[in-house]
Amino acid sequence: MTVEFNLNGRKVAAVGAPQSPLLWALRDELGMVGVKFGCGAGLCGACTVIVDGAQTRACQTSLADIAGKNIATIEGLSGPVFEAVVAGWTRAQAPQCGYCQPGFVTAATSVIAADQNATPESVLAQLTNICRCGTYDAIRDAVGLALETLRADARKAGGAK
Amino acid sequence: MSRAGTIARRTFLIAAGVVGGGMLVGAGVVATRLHRIDGFRLDAGPGETSFGAWLKLGSDGRVEVAVPHQDMGQGIYALAALLVANELGLSPDRVRPVQAPIHARFANPVMLLDGLPFENEGVLQRAAYWSFEKILRAVGIQATGGSTSTRNIAEPLRAAAAAMRDMLARAAAAHFATTVERLKFVDGAVLAPDGKRATFAELADAAAKLPPRDIALAPLAPDGLIGKGAPRADVAPKARGQAAYAIDVREKGQLYAAILHAPRLGAKLKSARLPGEAPSVRGLVEGADYVAVVAESYAIAAAALDRLQLAWDETNALAVSTKDVFAACRAALDRGADYRKRWVQETKGDVRNAAGAQITAVYSAPFLAHMTMEPINATALVTDIGAKVWAGTQSPQLAQMAAAAAAGVDTAKVEIVTPYLGGGFGRRADVGFVAKAVEIARKFKGVPVQTIWSRAQDMRDDVLRPAALADLSATLDANGLPATLVYRVATPSIVDQFVARVMPRAVGGLMADRTALDGALRSFYGVPNVSLEHFAVDTGVPVGFWRSVGFSLNCFFLESFVDELAAAAKAKPLDYRTRLLAVSDNSRAAKRAWRVLETMARFDVAEPLEAPREGGRVGRGFALTEPFHSFVGMTADVEVTGSDIRVRRVHAVVDCGLAIDPQNVIAQVRGGVNFGLSAALHGRIDFENGAIVQQNFDSYPLVTLADAPRIAVDIVNSGADIGGVGEIGVPAVAPAVANAVFAATGQRLRAMPFQLART
Repeated sequence: MTVEFNLNGRKVAAVGAPQSPLLWALRDELGMVGVKFGCGAGLCGACTVIVDGAQTRACQTSLADIAGKNIATIEGLSGPVFEAVVAGWTRAQAPQCGYCQPGFVTAATSVIAADQNATPESVLAQLTNICRCGTYDAIRDAVGLALETLRADARKAGGAK
Repeated sequence: MSRAGTIARRTFLIAAGVVGGGMLVGAGVVATRLHRIDGFRLDAGPGETSFGAWLKLGSDGRVEVAVPHQDMGQGIYALAALLVANELGLSPDRVRPVQAPIHARFANPVMLLDGLPFENEGVLQRAAYWSFEKILRAVGIQATGGSTSTRNIAEPLRAAAAAMRDMLARAAAAHFATTVERLKFVDGAVLAPDGKRATFAELADAAAKLPPRDIALAPLAPDGLIGKGAPRADVAPKARGQAAYAIDVREKGQLYAAILHAPRLGAKLKSARLPGEAPSVRGLVEGADYVAVVAESYAIAAAALDRLQLAWDETNALAVSTKDVFAACRAALDRGADYRKRWVQETKGDVRNAAGAQITAVYSAPFLAHMTMEPINATALVTDIGAKVWAGTQSPQLAQMAAAAAAGVDTAKVEIVTPYLGGGFGRRADVGFVAKAVEIARKFKGVPVQTIWSRAQDMRDDVLRPAALADLSATLDANGLPATLVYRVATPSIVDQFVARVMPRAVGGLMADRTALDGALRSFYGVPNVSLEHFAVDTGVPVGFWRSVGFSLNCFFLESFVDELAAAAKAKPLDYRTRLLAVSDNSRAAKRAWRVLETMARFDVAEPLEAPREGGRVGRGFALTEPFHSFVGMTADVEVTGSDIRVRRVHAVVDCGLAIDPQNVIAQVRGGVNFGLSAALHGRIDFENGAIVQQNFDSYPLVTLADAPRIAVDIVNSGADIGGVGEIGVPAVAPAVANAVFAATGQRLRAMPFQLART
């Protein structure tokens, strides 16, 4: 079957069996290799994408499920929340091998975008990805830094009014 | 046999010769080769200028450094850039690390020297060590592992950068008609006393024509960026998903393969058939013990793999189950001195001088998988005359040999490209996966084929951290200190298996496998009578290197046992270790260990154990280790509720000689702690009738963000020679946690993964 959906703001079509995982359509057909394969079972989060605003595991999402939906991958993320998350990740020097990090950054961007006033604890509780290098302390720092940046920006914007 | 194959085999034979006392074997050959190796220069492309083996000036004015090690998250690319930038007065982002070519110039003798079953002490040993260093540099292996990257390249990189700086300075002095002493290096340019400047690019041609001189280097010490560190350039692209791994290779016309191995180890493929129509499937490849489906996308290949009708020949399949492995270990230990593959690797005094109370304990640890986040994969393009392989390998040279054999081409015609590794941990030191990917691609000549192992196949085809069973026994003297220690561990020999896999015709078992006793050998504690024995037990289960490998076993066994001795002597764990250091006959090590212990003791006072929550019991445990020429002390605070063990907090004290980039040292140690904790709390690979039981992260859980402890790292560097960093956080955490659980509950955990009886 051919499935049409919006990928990073553009209309695209993917061809495959209805139950075929979105992950491989993104990686092999549509060139989005920032979406990583880790477990194929929804356990590790390396393949996290954002479907209509919600963090979603692309390996557990079938092509049939995404017709007409809005999918954002790490390649298509932009805007103040994403930039604050990346800046936090960079300042905390979080990635080591880096393979799981796009999944973490995508998940964090989705969670923070949904509630910029969330506490670091509540953001972290929603990051269920796995990092084999064990960068968890740095990720905690990165999330804290991202939230601080967004709050400082919000204060500045408020003060400028 | 290919040239590299001959060289590798020769390494082994020469090595064996040296051990046998034939230290002059091959001396002339070695000298000639070293001379040739030292003359190696990087090729310069258009607009580039070569400054020898390690450095180039790129057409964009950036300095390019050839890094012979793969970056798997340990940060060696950034570290190489930092060292070069520091010598040249540049910002590290003006230095571009690139993969070094495969060449003997880039061998890693340090890794192999660390594996020698003797120390660099004593006249004979020193002579052997010296010879080995020369030989291994002449014919050695280019590889990344054993926490050796920085130790291997820091000095040659600094020397190369200092020589390049000197050449640029001499060219600038001629250009400005002044002397070298009056010039300044400022961010990619040389400044004359009158303020005129010339960029590196402007000076490059003249500088490269000058004969390089040996520049005397100051000992590696805090200076500029060294000891301070710099942000890693790979961090932002990795966070943005822009870093490329082998699995992200996308070549024109590329096909994808999904691979499936025989469920039972040792079984062979009899037949494979894909029923029905499969228009996008391009073919099946039948390997000795695997089948692969090649298709236009991985999704199609993987779906077709599930539909295959398969028959396996199980004539030679293993029937091994987990309990058989430990039974074989038990039998070897019980056989004692009569056991054929028994290596006594250290003896001191006479362990028959045993008087007083005897304390014995049996410790064990299971097989473990690597679980790199990037599943095993490789892409290969095979033609009639050569091959190009993209693989996240820690052993590019062995990968080249394996690929050449699998493609049926000359080794020199194989190009190995190593993008970032999505985790290595020793898994990617083994090159069997490269051979299989090339075998598969060989059936599609002229077409790049990417073979991906599913997570279950990644685990099924893993070379596991060996399981081990250890008998420990000690007698205490009148002061409660150990008078004797008999330490006997039964575990497969990784080196025997690795040599057999890489060089099937080599004679294995000639040398003791030091990794089997790493972490117990040459302890900094004072025990007058010691015997350390390895019983090499092979149950057919493939084993390999793993982040801190032998240390991950023996530091758990020994540091838990020391805690048992302390308890028997009714001493506090930190006090007891202090007393053991005071009677050490290895004063240099004991002094470094002492400083680490002192910092742990201060932490213990300053940051007491937090109170338990309702229903929980808390405890604090300690461990002191010396992995990879560094010292690591660890304090773990645990809370036990029912049979649930929660590690709340870990404090690590590290002496790695000199922390060139302290932030990265902290990151590596924290990562190592979580790696070790996953093993201590969860990790186990089991077998039933020759088939692996665990299949994915659900049956092989890892520590997650929710349960990872807060980890603080104190660096207390002694200024000793730099030690390893990448693996050193792993070994101490298991014993520290086990000792903390004992403090909390009185239950002694002697088997990993920890299982607490509900009390």
